[in-house]
Amino acid sequence: MFVKLIGAALVLFAGTLIGFLQAARYAARPKQIRQLAGSLQRLETEIVYGRTPLPDALRTTAASAEQPIGRLLQAAAEELGLGDGRTFRECWEAAMRNGWPATAMRAPELNVTLRLGSTLGISDKDDQLKHLRLAAVQLKAEEDAAKDEQSKYEKMSRSLGLLLAALVVILMV
Amino acid sequence: MLERVAHLLPSELSELLARLPASALAELEEIRIRDNRPLEVWTGGGSAFVTADGVLQSSPDGAFKPSPDMCRRLLERMTNHSVYAMEEELRRGYITVEGGHRIGLAGRTVLEEGKVRSIRDIGGFNVRIARDAAGVSAGTLPMLIDRSRQSVASTLVVGAPRQGKTTFIRDLARAVSYGRWRSPYAEGWPGRKVGIVDERSEIAACVRGVPTFDVGPRTDVMDACPKAEGMMMMIRSMSPEVLVVDEIGRDEDVEAIREAVRAGVAVIATAHAGGWQEAAVRPAIRKLLQDNAFARGVVLRRSQSGLAVRVIDLEQPAGPPAASAAGGPTRPVAHSPASPREPTAGEPNVR
Repeated sequence: MFVKLIGAALVLFAGTLIGFLQAARYAARPKQIRQLAGSLQRLETEIVYGRTPLPDALRTTAASAEQPIGRLLQAAAEELGLGDGRTFRECWEAAMRNGWPATAMRAPELNVTLRLGSTLGISDKDDQLKHLRLAAVQLKAEEDAAKDEQSKYEKMSRSLGLLLAALVVILMV
Repeated sequence: MLERVAHLLPSELSELLARLPASALAELEEIRIRDNRPLEVWTGGGSAFVTADGVLQSSPDGAFKPSPDMCRRLLERMTNHSVYAMEEELRRGYITVEGGHRIGLAGRTVLEEGKVRSIRDIGGFNVRIARDAAGVSAGTLPMLIDRSRQSVASTLVVGAPRQGKTTFIRDLARAVSYGRWRSPYAEGWPGRKVGIVDERSEIAACVRGVPTFDVGPRTDVMDACPKAEGMMMMIRSMSPEVLVVDEIGRDEDVEAIREAVRAGVAVIATAHAGGWQEAAVRPAIRKLLQDNAFARGVVLRRSQSGLAVRVIDLEQPAGPPAASAAGGPTRPVAHSPASPREPTAGEPNVR
């Protein structure tokens, strides 16, 4: 009986934890998208006004960005720094695809970021500005969608975790 | 030569070029990469196409063709993934990279108000390998000194393209800056402050404002600056004793050089021309010669044995040959710029 009680408590605890973690992801997604957009804005300043070469611009942007965005940009700068003859697009894509699972962000934002990566650095500053602005607009749209999802699912997933755990406990007993 | 620029090229290309015969590599001057067209190199003064096996041939048939992807990689490398930071370079049509190598670009231009603003869709690259032939001017400098001022005399260097004018004045600037006069008269003279106005980043090959060629310890460089304006800025702010400029020929250059000479600054300038007579009929140069702005003329011609240098003494139209007399401080009242005394035989100088 005692063992059963402990088991039930563990299941309840685990279920609740999963629910809370899921809820935290919903809450973190719009925040991280916002941070990403902020970092891109900073990158825009470096590129358009500072005319900083892209590897340096990425490094300075990464240093001032919050985690996990900073890590993503830093990884891209490091891939570029290898100087193994890959294009910027390839370096950027590798860094983003590797680092993305560690963030709360999902595929739509990744696609926006990858599209941006295929244009960064290969055209003049007006063109760069347009592409960065476009990415900012697209990220804003994703952020709004993510906020909608947050308001819909954040509380729900929290209670759902607890309730599912309770269901499992009841079935077990 | 290849190893100096190999880091700029995509690996496929540098591996291919490394398979060229050693003699061709040693003489390599230009690598011409054209999108989807035969790969060409200039080596030993002639053109050749490169096959995929690294064999040189004169016919373009069967030569290796760089792919569009390779060209894109090349451009990214040369611009450090930052085309937007190179707008000025793209407007001028070439990029200077560390080591003084220059990459000429050809493609579709972007116009703004009728002027070229940039190049996009770049389909042609010309990698010109810079070689810093130290000491090319060593044999000539003793003929160019001005004994009264203990410095170098104002000199106009004339030659057709690719004859080594820029290399020559770079070496002069370095020698003057170090004080390596190499003349018995110049024993103990100090080096002079040299100002280089390097409109096309060719003389000093500055990367981010720092010269990548050794231009001497007393040398300041105004990089990528219009010549006339740069000369005035130098005179006002850097107090040079010798000004070095490349490729003069516009009216504003004339005014700036006159100003410099009036300020007591020796000017070393180059001009494109096949020979001295051709140079002297160009309007800007004719004006300068009429003003006695230059005390010496130098004509450069590359030959089989090396660089042939001819020195013309503009101060003594009827005097003894310049090669024997290093030139006195006297200035003749009248002299005809279009027919200066033809000088002594060319002095071959090992490249």
